[in-house]
Amino acid sequence: MSTTDGELIQRAAGGDRSAFELLYQRYARPVFGLALRRLGDRGRAEDAVQETFASIWRSAGTYRPDRGPGAPWLYAVARNAIVDRARNRTEIPADIPDEPARDAGPAELAEQGWVSWRVHRALEELNEREREVISLAYWSGLSQSEVAEFLGIPLGTVKTRTRAALARLAEILGDEFE
Amino acid sequence: MSFEDLIGTEGLSGEEEARLRRVHQLLVAAGPPPDLSPDLSLPPVPAAEADPPEVAFLLRRRRGRALVLALAAALAAFVGGYAFGHSKGKPTAFAAIRNVAMHGPAGTASHGVIRIAEKDSVGNWPMQFEVSGLAPQTNRAAYYELWLTRNGKPVAPCGSFRVNAKTTRVRLSVSYPLKNFDGWVVTSQPAGHRDGLGPVVLTT
Repeated sequence: MSTTDGELIQRAAGGDRSAFELLYQRYARPVFGLALRRLGDRGRAEDAVQETFASIWRSAGTYRPDRGPGAPWLYAVARNAIVDRARNRTEIPADIPDEPARDAGPAELAEQGWVSWRVHRALEELNEREREVISLAYWSGLSQSEVAEFLGIPLGTVKTRTRAALARLAEILGDEFE
Repeated sequence: MSFEDLIGTEGLSGEEEARLRRVHQLLVAAGPPPDLSPDLSLPPVPAAEADPPEVAFLLRRRRGRALVLALAAALAAFVGGYAFGHSKGKPTAFAAIRNVAMHGPAGTASHGVIRIAEKDSVGNWPMQFEVSGLAPQTNRAAYYELWLTRNGKPVAPCGSFRVNAKTTRVRLSVSYPLKNFDGWVVTSQPAGHRDGLGPVVLTT
């Protein structure tokens, strides 16, 4: 059983840099994804990642394991850092839209952000082979036959691996990362 | 692609199928995880061991100063390593178990060699990459990137680096099973070219 996020946060609160680095490995991508989704700009999203981890380091001592697992706490820290960065935006929109936006509202955005956060965090737990087959199956645009050709393995093996990777993700997501 | 096309449903109990289908829906909703740029490849560095609230983070607007600090730290580390190596009477060695030669396109003098050491206990392959003849970057944000290839296509990033006019040597590490790949390439990544591959400048 790997160290839980909560345990890592507590160790980071005590100044443990290796715990902090492990948290970074687990969460850099989910934080970056969340920031990109909210800010829409890679440069600003990169800054938000840095600020998020600065906040995590500074405020790790406020984490209370009896109030819940580490992932939601980290999500809240990230969301606050990203919102702060969004508020600091000084650019004025060039055009004011005439019609109501069809974009998702705040509640939907929050829900989408949390789903992506959980899933991207869970992907970090997969081994390289599992992550590769999920990435190819879902986001490469290749058919499963093409994935099989790309990986040089039979189609049945691709499906078996995909199924196994999904099962592993179900296990991770079911545990709520703790 | 539909859930059925992806994994097929034969042999799955109703409960297991529902469980996997839920994960499938979450993956579709989440979308792909973003690629981390080289700037985010390492965590920010807390400034003082004894004082966690004081953290030096490499925000973009402060990168100039951070670069100076990093160079100073690198210089200190180099001087320290040099002194240590000489105090032992021999230079620090890299125990390669395999060397991979790389060369530039026809008509160019660029070349390199990847020295790969024994895989460590947790599955990382330490590498030392020595490269000569690549054009030094004229822009601070430009860099080169080493990739593992499959069917000739770069598929797995192995680290980024910059070069000087002579020979540059960098230490890298990858965690991929190397037997799953068929070669290596180096691409030149110009400034602002984060989302795609730049031109290949070295290949095996």
